Amino acid sequence: MSGSTDGLRAWLLQRISAVYLAGFVIYLLLHFYLHPQPDYPAWRAWVAQPLVAIAFAGFILALLVHGWVGLRDVVLDYVRHLGLRMLILTLIAFLLIGCGFWAVRVLILVSL
Amino acid sequence: MSEQRSAPVYLNLFRINLPVGAVTSIAHRISGVLLFLSFPLLVYLLDLSLRGPDGFAAAVDWLSNDFIRLGSVVVAWSLFHHLIGGIRFLLLDLELGITRPRARVTAWLVNIAAVAAALLYLWWVL
Repeated sequence: MSGSTDGLRAWLLQRISAVYLAGFVIYLLLHFYLHPQPDYPAWRAWVAQPLVAIAFAGFILALLVHGWVGLRDVVLDYVRHLGLRMLILTLIAFLLIGCGFWAVRVLILVSL
Repeated sequence: MSEQRSAPVYLNLFRINLPVGAVTSIAHRISGVLLFLSFPLLVYLLDLSLRGPDGFAAAVDWLSNDFIRLGSVVVAWSLFHHLIGGIRFLLLDLELGITRPRARVTAWLVNIAAVAAALLYLWWVL
């Protein structure tokens, strides 16, 4: 990442993703409070609904963006050694992308 | 770099007075990092619970472990603090509640509400 608008873009992405994440988390909390999932068929049927699966995939994407911007800020603030900084940022990126693909794969398999 | 500084250095944590907004802010970071660390575990649980009736039962079993339950209270606190504190930050960005007295009150509200919600979760999960 480079350029003078990067800080602003990261700032904006952080807030746009935050709004989506907050909305989806509040929806999840309300849903699980009102309809606790008692068994496998009900749980699977709920996740496999197209709207839920798509909203869930969007949640994962927003989570990756939000997590990356947030953790990058934290690492840039506290890790001053350049090599160590790159190593930690790389590990974070791998973990986020790996978990993101994993979650989306689960959502796709459930929807088939 | 090695220029001498005249600022006092207090290493005694009890002598450092953080304003309440700073506590809310650092807790936002800490909760964010904790949520990141719990992300792989949560995806694993999602995967396991959707692998079939056996996987679902295994996930429920996993969640009924006492240590996991206790750990999940930390995740719950992180989620509540990050969510409520995040909404406060978004409102501050919109210039809502930015006067110092207001910002202090809402910072207290966020800190207390997150702990209260985590305790409520603990009560619910026990």
